[in-house]
Amino acid sequence: MKEKLTSLWQKLFGDPVRAFGVVSLVFLLSLAIAPAKNYFSEWRHYQHSYLRMIRNRSDANTLQRHFQGGIHQIWLPELGVVDRCTSCHVGLKEASLTDVATQPFRKHPVVPHKLDEFGCVVCHRGQGAATTVAEAHNSTLAWEQPILPAKYIESSCGQCHRGPMLGTPQLNQGRALLKREGCVHCHTIKLPDGSPIQPNDDPPSLEHIADKTTREWIYAWLRDPQSYAASATMPNFKLSDDDARDVSAFLMANSAPLAGDRAKITAKPASDPSAGPSLYGESFCASCHSVQNAAGNLVGGDVGPELTRIGSKVKPEWLQAWLRNPRSYDPGTAMPHYRLNDGQVATLSGFLLAKTDSDLLANVHLDPATPEQIAHGKRLVSDYGCASCHEIAGIKKPENFAPELTRIGSKPITQLIFLPGMQHTLPEYIAGKIKQPRAFSPGLKMPQYTLAPAQIDALTTALLSFNERSFTLPPSLAVPGVPESDYQPAGKAGKLMSDLACFSCHRISGHGGDMAPDLTWEGSSVQREWLVQFFKNPGTLRPALIRRMPRFNLTDGEITELTDYIMTVYQNPAVDRDSMPLSGYPQGQVELGRQLFYGKYSCQGCHIVDTKTDKGYIGPTLTHVGSRLTAAWMYQWMKNPQALRPGTIEPNRAMSDEDARALTAFLMSQKGGAKQEIAKK
Amino acid sequence: MADSKDFVAGVDSNAKKSPRRIVFITRRTSAQVKAETEDQIQTFPEVLFRAAVAIEVLAVVLVWISLMFNAPLEGLADPSHTPNPAKAPWYFLGLQEMLHYFPPVVAGVLVPGLVVMALIVIPYFKVNIEADGLFLKDREKRQRIFYVVAATLSIFLLVFKVYVALAPTLIMAGVMLVAAYSCPQSTSAFRRYLAARPLSYWVMTWFLFELVLLTAIGTFFRGPGWSWIWPWQGS
Amino acid sequence: MAKTDSSKTMDQYFEDLQQTRVWRSIFRSGPGSSTLKRALAIQQNVFLHLFSTKVRVRVLSFSATWYLGTLTLGTFLVLVATGIPLMLYYHPSVPQAYADTKDLQFVVSSGMFLRNLHRWSAHAMVFLVFAHMFKVFYRGAYRTPREFNWVIGVILLLITLLLSYTGYLLPWDQLAYWAITVGSNIASAVPLIGNKIHFLLLGGNAVNANALLRFYVLHCMILPLTAMFFVAIHFWRIRKDGGLYSHGSEPATMKAATANVAAAAKEAR
Repeated sequence: MKEKLTSLWQKLFGDPVRAFGVVSLVFLLSLAIAPAKNYFSEWRHYQHSYLRMIRNRSDANTLQRHFQGGIHQIWLPELGVVDRCTSCHVGLKEASLTDVATQPFRKHPVVPHKLDEFGCVVCHRGQGAATTVAEAHNSTLAWEQPILPAKYIESSCGQCHRGPMLGTPQLNQGRALLKREGCVHCHTIKLPDGSPIQPNDDPPSLEHIADKTTREWIYAWLRDPQSYAASATMPNFKLSDDDARDVSAFLMANSAPLAGDRAKITAKPASDPSAGPSLYGESFCASCHSVQNAAGNLVGGDVGPELTRIGSKVKPEWLQAWLRNPRSYDPGTAMPHYRLNDGQVATLSGFLLAKTDSDLLANVHLDPATPEQIAHGKRLVSDYGCASCHEIAGIKKPENFAPELTRIGSKPITQLIFLPGMQHTLPEYIAGKIKQPRAFSPGLKMPQYTLAPAQIDALTTALLSFNERSFTLPPSLAVPGVPESDYQPAGKAGKLMSDLACFSCHRISGHGGDMAPDLTWEGSSVQREWLVQFFKNPGTLRPALIRRMPRFNLTDGEITELTDYIMTVYQNPAVDRDSMPLSGYPQGQVELGRQLFYGKYSCQGCHIVDTKTDKGYIGPTLTHVGSRLTAAWMYQWMKNPQALRPGTIEPNRAMSDEDARALTAFLMSQKGGAKQEIAKK
Repeated sequence: MADSKDFVAGVDSNAKKSPRRIVFITRRTSAQVKAETEDQIQTFPEVLFRAAVAIEVLAVVLVWISLMFNAPLEGLADPSHTPNPAKAPWYFLGLQEMLHYFPPVVAGVLVPGLVVMALIVIPYFKVNIEADGLFLKDREKRQRIFYVVAATLSIFLLVFKVYVALAPTLIMAGVMLVAAYSCPQSTSAFRRYLAARPLSYWVMTWFLFELVLLTAIGTFFRGPGWSWIWPWQGS
Repeated sequence: MAKTDSSKTMDQYFEDLQQTRVWRSIFRSGPGSSTLKRALAIQQNVFLHLFSTKVRVRVLSFSATWYLGTLTLGTFLVLVATGIPLMLYYHPSVPQAYADTKDLQFVVSSGMFLRNLHRWSAHAMVFLVFAHMFKVFYRGAYRTPREFNWVIGVILLLITLLLSYTGYLLPWDQLAYWAITVGSNIASAVPLIGNKIHFLLLGGNAVNANALLRFYVLHCMILPLTAMFFVAIHFWRIRKDGGLYSHGSEPATMKAATANVAAAAKEAR
């Protein structure tokens, strides 16, 4: 055997020339492996399996015809996109492949954008240039941004679309939360146009905090804000007992008294125990404030603070002063100035002060504060950046207190520190940071928020949208949102509107909240008489909603002031209010309108005209519409609702002038029974 | 050698088969010639084909490595994101490791400059030509010089806290110490070997030792901020 | 090997080929494997004439050289062979250079293999050059009369390092960019003219498109040509300096011989 081997060796390598021949052969064979390896590439494998898959389908011929072998790429130099995803994802555009569930052959769901115009990675991330599964999808040395998990996909919409959209509820929510939860108080986030995102949570000033509440409450609140109100925006800073003691000492010592807050009122509350709740209800406090019911659920709006345990928090004098006129304590508050008389104030404050929780402060016993404690408290207030959100006398709002998040969506993974067991991806990191911010390192100051998982996902989605691409986008692709205008109504009426905090709920000329209808063209759309009655006794147009316009107890003078202003100023130039009569349409036209309403346009799907038969609750009820809206507005609305109110869900039915006129005639005939009732009063 | 004639000329009987150089030796030139008795071989084909086989074997190895391991490629160059640590190519990591200890003028300019200078002058350095064991002549004096140099170098490295370079220096010094007290007549083959090593051998070996060690440390043992990490501690 | 009379063997065909006018016009020497012919094969080839026609058998043993010089040449040849096709796919511009590297990896047929081979060969070459140097040193092959060839070798070592270093930047990825940034910053440390050298090396104050172009030209033109020039001298000097060094036939023995002569001379006096 050994001899045989030796002789073989001699035969092959015995002399250099022959050895050269043998080694050359080995060398050439080795070289030949490279093209072979190249041939058995992943993308070719997938194309072969695709062809095998479609062979037995009924639509095989069409699919075969569409199929083209080889590496495909979508090249969009403007976007810096070279996407070769379609080399393996062959059936993306095949409408007939809806039944295929296996990747990479699934058909792409219908989206508003064309594949050839936007490529794949603009939305999905990942490495478009790659032609192997691992390189294209995963985070690698060469490409750190892996495929974006589907639950955050809306973040990609946000790269170009900077305003809210119907199709991106999660993104809209996330963006709103960034403002609502006060994230942007500490973290600067600049939009691509350079403007920073402004918070809208309006944290209270602490300059007169001692007027409002007790040191014990502050202490309990600092220890755990959510124990006072589950819905509290204030996050938990996880202060130690001593730290909370010292901060509360400082805040009390630092507070300056306001004269108005101490005045006691003499009026007695109404003796009827139901007077409090009914005043609370009539004033529609619940439109903005919530209260926990017996089952533990919050009932009411989330514009103002939760009132479940308000009696354990506020001092009675302060509450009464606040109810009389909230603006004397906080000129910028979203709370309207109700014109309550002293008796009503006493009744309402009595009702609210009874909402206490004896457990809340039961274990809080604080000794009088020492100067050292106050000094320490002041230091803590600076350290934790309390002044980022709250106004505190003597402490300036810190600049750039927390890291800027303008480009957080493309932060390199190499710069992140992950918790053990965490997936090393950016979305995981962002979500993890929001979920348990203090876990990442012992010295971190970011407080613990109480957010639902869906809210964390929404925030993560919004943050991921602030990435490099959103800054390097070709200007033609950017879809800017509607920026908040700084519209302010002028004159006496303007002052009145600020006092009533109209903009807390209504939007006018791009300024204000979105809880109540946009009033930009209110002067063109409604009839004066209706408006006057509405101010006196606001009803609702949408019975399905809890939130309602409260009654402010306005004087006739104030109502005239407001109505004049609205009817004169808030007019749409395209709608001539007086061009069409409010009544007196020929019966035939009204009848035609009715037929169109129930027939051709099926308006009853969303609206109610006849409360007995119609079941539409999506749009406002139209039983009284003839005494509310002007005919001219109604006509223009039929023609093109979006022109009058961009973004309204009322579909544009492209009506002929004739149809629109007939429908207007029909709707104007819907004066309702209520009109007579109001008139009688 | 001492022939009375002025020169000798020799021709092989079969010059065609094995041509030989004809050499003229005069007393005046008195060149020193060694008899040409070694076996020789034709470059073509023997040597060339051997070389070709060697190169091909290497190529086969490289081809297989290339088939199995992909060359690294990281993200697009980004001047605003400095990786930590930013490392030079591996053959410069010895230098980079030194930059960690010494000011750039020393580690980046002086040391490599001196190394290149030293490499160039090696063959012109008298000591090397003699190729005598370092400690065979003037043993006492040379031992003294060795102690002073070794101690100075060690203290220098200690002062700059270059412990990684100190270790090979001390090991080399230890081995040289053995050499300093060995003689060519020693019974131990290893000590005979050490005794015969010339100065250049010691310097070069120390240099090789340091080069390999510093490069290896720079490559495998340095993490963020050029801090010490173990290769198995993933980044 | 059994040969049939009726058919010619491959060798015979080859000999016939060598007899043709065309062959003779190119290679001059005709067929035959005599010593003379073999010597002519070396002498009459512009590349091979750098070598001597005969080599001592002793230096061919593996332990004498470990073939390190030959292997270094081998890596250089592989690098030239792979470098030229790589140039066909590469634009030395920012950021196209990186995109080209990606394309090599993902769409060019066997492009990744080509790049791998180039990269690993480059590393192998640096390693082999160092190994070659130390081997030569420990064999004592740098001694008279080969001093100058050693110096050429040191120059070739520096050229190899520069070749590898300039090539390192070309993929224009983070690894390349920061390795070159770190490396080139060392140049700034040279007293007085450090910043000038740094500027000259990079064609600017930082690693940018200029540096990429500069490194590309150095890597693909200037340095390879310089290397070839010095390699030629290196090989030619081997022959001129008495062939490859072989232990026992030279300095040590030579020294012994000198000692003998000296002793004899002493005696003679």
